[in-house]
Amino acid sequence: MTTEQSKAAVIPTRPLKVTINGEAQPIEDIPEELMMLDYLHEYRNLTGTRFGCGRGMCRACTVIVDKPDGSSEEVRTCITGAHYFDGKTIRTVEGHAQRDEEGHIDALSTVQQQFLEHFSFQCSYCAPGFVNAATVLVERLQRKPISRSQLEGTISEALESHICRCTGYVRYFEAVRDAVLKTPGTTKEAS
Amino acid sequence: MSRPSLSRRSFLKGSAVAGVTAYLAPLGSDAFGALFEDRVLSPTNEAWQLAEGKMRFRLDGIAKVTGSKVFARDIRAKDMPHWPDQQSHAFIIRATRCDHSLKGINLSRLEQAGLMPDQLVTAEDMKRDKIEVPRFFGPDFFLAKGDTAAYLGYPVAMLIYHDFARYRLAKSRIRFADDVVTYGEQTPLPEKPPYGAFRYIRVGGETPFAEDTFSALQETVLYPDFRKRHPVWPEALENGKNTEKAMFYAQQLQDKLANAPDDWLVFEGEYNSQYTDHFAMEADNANCWFDQSKGDMHVVCGTQSPQELVNWMPEVLSNSSFQSRRFFLHPAYTVGYGSKDATIFPYYGLIAALYADGKPVRLANDRFEQFQATMKRHPFTMKNRLAVDRETGKFQVFKQDLTANGGGRANFSNSVAFVGATAAQSIYYMPNSDLTATAIYSRMPEAGSFRGYGTLQTMSATELMVDEIAGQLNMDPIDLRLRNVFKSGMKNTQGAIPAGHLRNEEILHKARNHSIWTERETRKQAYETAHPEERYGVGFACVQKDFGHGAESAFSEVRLTPEGRIEVRNTGAEMGTGYSTGQAAVVAAWLGRAADQVRTAEMEWDDMQMYETTSPYFISQEEQNKSIKDPRWTPLLLQASSASNSAYYFSFPTLEAARIIFRHGLWPAAQEFWQRGIGGGQSAPYVVREENARWEAGHLTARGMEPLSLEFLAKRAHEMGLITGVISHAFNRWEWSRADYEINGRSENLPLDGLAVQYGIGASEAQKALMTSKRGYHLLTRKNPYIPPTQRNNAGVTYYSGCGTLVELAVHTGTGKVSVLNHHTFLECGNTLVEQLVSGQIQGGIAMGIGHALYEEMPLYEDGPGNGTWNINRYHVPRASEVAVWQQTSEILPPLSRTDPPKGIAEVVMIPIVGAIGNGIAHAIGHHFRSLPITPDKIREVL
Repeated sequence: MTTEQSKAAVIPTRPLKVTINGEAQPIEDIPEELMMLDYLHEYRNLTGTRFGCGRGMCRACTVIVDKPDGSSEEVRTCITGAHYFDGKTIRTVEGHAQRDEEGHIDALSTVQQQFLEHFSFQCSYCAPGFVNAATVLVERLQRKPISRSQLEGTISEALESHICRCTGYVRYFEAVRDAVLKTPGTTKEAS
Repeated sequence: MSRPSLSRRSFLKGSAVAGVTAYLAPLGSDAFGALFEDRVLSPTNEAWQLAEGKMRFRLDGIAKVTGSKVFARDIRAKDMPHWPDQQSHAFIIRATRCDHSLKGINLSRLEQAGLMPDQLVTAEDMKRDKIEVPRFFGPDFFLAKGDTAAYLGYPVAMLIYHDFARYRLAKSRIRFADDVVTYGEQTPLPEKPPYGAFRYIRVGGETPFAEDTFSALQETVLYPDFRKRHPVWPEALENGKNTEKAMFYAQQLQDKLANAPDDWLVFEGEYNSQYTDHFAMEADNANCWFDQSKGDMHVVCGTQSPQELVNWMPEVLSNSSFQSRRFFLHPAYTVGYGSKDATIFPYYGLIAALYADGKPVRLANDRFEQFQATMKRHPFTMKNRLAVDRETGKFQVFKQDLTANGGGRANFSNSVAFVGATAAQSIYYMPNSDLTATAIYSRMPEAGSFRGYGTLQTMSATELMVDEIAGQLNMDPIDLRLRNVFKSGMKNTQGAIPAGHLRNEEILHKARNHSIWTERETRKQAYETAHPEERYGVGFACVQKDFGHGAESAFSEVRLTPEGRIEVRNTGAEMGTGYSTGQAAVVAAWLGRAADQVRTAEMEWDDMQMYETTSPYFISQEEQNKSIKDPRWTPLLLQASSASNSAYYFSFPTLEAARIIFRHGLWPAAQEFWQRGIGGGQSAPYVVREENARWEAGHLTARGMEPLSLEFLAKRAHEMGLITGVISHAFNRWEWSRADYEINGRSENLPLDGLAVQYGIGASEAQKALMTSKRGYHLLTRKNPYIPPTQRNNAGVTYYSGCGTLVELAVHTGTGKVSVLNHHTFLECGNTLVEQLVSGQIQGGIAMGIGHALYEEMPLYEDGPGNGTWNINRYHVPRASEVAVWQQTSEILPPLSRTDPPKGIAEVVMIPIVGAIGNGIAHAIGHHFRSLPITPDKIREVL
């Protein structure tokens, strides 16, 4: 049945300015309570960042926030309000590959390529979170290399919170190891 | 009660879609190609390594790793061509009490916040508009005022919003509010009779290979009536009807157990398997649009069984008072582990669209709703008795009485129960067995199809039991297994002889010689010395799991273009397992390389003019004999993508189609080339036979003949008017149907019950005149058909994959925490289609098995997921650190030959780790647990 609308909700909004995958997004009034994941999905139609648990535990909703100092971090968008990202620059899974002018993929990132070649994912619902976490890790190791012997432990620590129900994680982890080893300057001889 | 359904699929039949025409267009199909970014599948030539004949990556891999829209969950109205852009949203509120009647709903919280829905849908709307739940899913869609919920989480109302912001805020305002659903008078907790019961009795002959004295396959399965919720069994009569004979032998076995000789050990134990959630990461969702102006219903959703929705949704529409004329289903890639097979959820999406004022509406569960509302794994209670000869270690009599709790909707509970029972023997030969399975109703949210499908529960119990018995006999557990291992040609507990050579004995020998097993005592000593607060243990278990539903069927089309492009179209759905990639690869056996184009979840096969009449599980032999005379009749048109059926059953018609193109297209084209020239050309000096044909790096050769590319052969086959396209249909009832077909004037007996062929562009006028079907095929008429007899329904299973797992673990004596240190798995699966996909299934299955063994569990009733407060903050899904991610290894047994069929393995791989962990814990601390999961609390209690 059609319900009676006794009063329309006044939903508080604020303008949101955010840069996603290198593109400044149109500044829009966005509800103050909105989570970033909903903004990506419903306002930007960027659905590669996935809703898993809504409580920040499975990490399928992870995006990368790029900081002015050149470092980056993972942020969970299902529990982080869209306005937290005001003025920030983020990368989502859609933004890693090189694309031509029409948006067709020319080349995958190293992490994506390794995931592909290792048959890392099955359903792939969690893959965006793993792509972002692994990318943050590789970039961190480029800035601050570790010894080769620390690599497996470092990968375990970096990806432990990400949940995958299909794969048992093995092919993700092996792919990240290869991605790190194929990226110059990420590991050093143990001192 | 009436005889319970044996069928996982019987509900699909008899659903005339009166007045509503159904169409199906998967989101990966041409219809959406331009929309969904280069389509979901990459060009095969980028993925296929010609020289090695292997896939470099999965065809959907690039789309998936770049976050493209592959899931239904990713789709919004604006993504769909011809849909309006405005997207509405809906959610459901549910009853969380079964002890009071429903009074109504109280939306004052929303009213105060100005967040009332644009539409509110309740049971009253269903009644007024004649929207009836498909019988399989009963009871009703929504709880009516004055009624008491049959289960926790029963839908009460659906709220529809025409803008996202209000929807989102409204949902968060009332998420956990306990005053939204209001209750009236107190009522007794609901009770119902069991959904069904089955009993498989077998008394073997003198040897495992001799004729059985009695078996389900030879005589009958028992289906009891119920009085006051208790089964009523037939009278036991030695010379009575088959059902009475069954009871006579059951009594005989009971007497043997009761009066066992002194040299028998009669082991008795009750095993329990818990209630778990699939935790498929893509939660249930549907995006539907009812175009009121045209009467068109469009449904986008993820499903394992598109054919069910195509049959049943139009029926819901046609029975309703809505004026619907056409129904469009757009299945997307998805993931389910069973949860998207025969689920009621998409029907709520359909209902939402009917009430959304002509706007597309999206119904998408969040994780709390998913825990509350979706199907779960059946909790099992299994009372096992196993008599063993102490001297020989040989099993004598096995009796199991299992109860499967199906929750508030019956769903597949009956078949889960009987499939569980028929798997209970695990890898052992049981000379005498009496297995009773009962599926019961309860008020917990329903249980349904879930990876393992009853066998996880029963085989894990058997594997735990065997180790405990080995301990009581003071025998090595693998030795005890070897003494009883089921060998090729023996009969299972239904009296059927499984297909092919069973290789569990080989797995047992491999396990016995593996360092994890041979060094277990020295490793235990070393580990415990290094970690004084922990106890080290090694466990092993080995199972064989059926694959398939007992009635399997699929259509497949393989076409070769004049340019040598291979196109495959078939009925399976992509569930994340790599099905589309496997289907592309499978044709390489006959066509030299992978298919260039694969279309999955295709439901339009009018060219074949085939039809079905009744359930393949229930049809009488007499009716089958009558029906078979019509060459267009088949026992079953289509089967869902579940029960690990894709690798073998869905590949089968694809392979047969490719084989026909090879034999009647490519091979004659090659012969014509090799025989060119004086004196019979290059082939004359040799004897070149079809069996000498080999594809090498994409070129066909035979006994030293000049290698010819597929492109060349395809062009020639077309020019010569040879066969370049085939549509095939195959039916299997634990064996394949067969029939004679006349192909180019030659009669061939093929394992197909329907066949159509297409001749190349150079076909003669006479050939062209035969190609009259919609897609330009010549529909052949089968002769001398053989359809497996209906009695084979009682076989329960004949196709098995074997799998064994060794595990090393440590138990912390203070906390009771179990750490999985390492594991090694042995899998027998015939020839793999894509080896990396198989090994990925092993690794993923093991992780899920570890969850079942150690972590995953929920209360069944008021404190369980039906109350709407469950999420993964309290339901622990294994993380990488808990699965020995860097240490684990596995091996796939080499096939016996290149001709071994590929076997279904998606389920079997998760099972042995469960028993292995239980047995490893017993090795570590000396206690055999019989209830899963084995949590730190339970361990601390024992310690």
